[in-house]
Amino acid sequence: MTDAPFIEIEDLYFSRGDHEIFRGVNITIPRGKVTAIMGPSGTGKTTLLKLIGGQLTPDKGRILIDGQDVHRLSRKALFILRKRMGMLFQSGALFSDLDVFENVAFPLRVHTDLPDPMVRDLVLLKLQAVGLRGARHLTPAELSGGMARRVALARAVALDPELILYDEPFVGQDPISMGVLVQLIKRLNQALQLTSVVVSHDIKETLSIADYLYLIADGQVVAHGTPHTLDTNQDPRVSQFIHGEPDGPVPFHYPAEAFYRDILGKASIQR
Amino acid sequence: MEALGRAGIFLAQSAIGVPSREGWRLWLQQMHFVGVLSLAIVLVSGLFIGMVLALQGYTLLVDFGAEQALGQMVALSLLRELAPVVAALLFAGRAGSALTAEIGLMKATEQLTSMEMIGVDPLRRVVAPRLWAGFVALPILTVGFSVVGIWGGYLVGVEWLGVFEGSYWSNMQSSVSFTNDVGNGMIKSAVFAVVVTWIAVFQGYDLIPTSEGISRATTRTVVYSSLAVLGLDFVLTAVMFGGL
Repeated sequence: MTDAPFIEIEDLYFSRGDHEIFRGVNITIPRGKVTAIMGPSGTGKTTLLKLIGGQLTPDKGRILIDGQDVHRLSRKALFILRKRMGMLFQSGALFSDLDVFENVAFPLRVHTDLPDPMVRDLVLLKLQAVGLRGARHLTPAELSGGMARRVALARAVALDPELILYDEPFVGQDPISMGVLVQLIKRLNQALQLTSVVVSHDIKETLSIADYLYLIADGQVVAHGTPHTLDTNQDPRVSQFIHGEPDGPVPFHYPAEAFYRDILGKASIQR
Repeated sequence: MEALGRAGIFLAQSAIGVPSREGWRLWLQQMHFVGVLSLAIVLVSGLFIGMVLALQGYTLLVDFGAEQALGQMVALSLLRELAPVVAALLFAGRAGSALTAEIGLMKATEQLTSMEMIGVDPLRRVVAPRLWAGFVALPILTVGFSVVGIWGGYLVGVEWLGVFEGSYWSNMQSSVSFTNDVGNGMIKSAVFAVVVTWIAVFQGYDLIPTSEGISRATTRTVVYSSLAVLGLDFVLTAVMFGGL
């Protein structure tokens, strides 16, 4: 295994319509580590994962995965690269026409020629890891949001990928499964030498598993470092986010005109 | 224009290619959803349309003492016009709208995106089997529509109104040309199949993934398909039978 970073994001610019989401983002994701990308809601964390997965194309800049420029690959080469990645979606994104077992078996069936008994064993192993072996016959509609996400995790690791992208893995988990999930991400990373990218704003859980963190705000990386260095960072934007303070440089309110004007109306103020 | 370009690339990327064994299985599954499940509505409509044609035709022809030509009139109306057009309109409403809603909902719930991230091309896995099922199913449904329609005409004309059975069938046999009437009707049906399925699947794939987006796209499928079928029918009729 080389020491070269697994993902390199260089000078990334991306906008949706007039709304600029990234303005010159540089991120390096080391091989075999858990890297967390954090930031307030609406900073484009999910968009960043979609850019890494090649589903969106940047306006400027490039993203290299294991030395390959994702957005210069042919459609076929991109699909081959994606076989080496797993992605956990915020919603789970399970296939609604397949049951839990077949959802997890899907990547194995389409990408390998394994015989049925072996597919069965592998699927049950993955489901056992997320605690849902007993739920194999349920359909996605019968699962809670948290359970669906755990099935989706089992599906994401079905092919033992080299890279896993987690989009808000901790949202909507009860305390028990949250603890299990945190351990699972950590264990998967250590046991299989996976490279993991976790996008989240659950600070406590993310700090506990990440080897390195990037904090994004206003379309740029505002800080990066190990959990310890970020925890002690004096930058007000960083400390506001890490310590969850309502007042600080990042406003809680979406930009709007003055509250009293909005409530009373312009006419009443003039009078 | 831009949407037409996108739709063209979409059709080329998804419809062209050699299916795998899994692809055949998925195609058969879709044949069931878009074809077999549309059979009832298409056949029942065919029966009623054939019956109405015979009834209207009889009252018109009997004034000229030409009710023996009833079989010819029913068969030509169905084969040349009504079967391809009405079957396509019914197909757009029954199967086209379902295709749009299904693919749209898969898009809205990120199933298509997650399929892409698993390394499976949704154009090949989701879109291609549905497109080809539509291409094949509609012409077959059209044949069924014609057959049942002609039988409906027989029920009303011969069994009920008393047209001589021999002249109903023999006039039909002598005046219907296989290439000109049956063949051209099938060409129309094949064109409508491509257009309706293409519109339905593309509208589903290209929609804005919200509940409002799905509702608008489903409406667009039915409206665009119906207009395209009726417009193209005029053009094709003009070329085939109008001497253009």
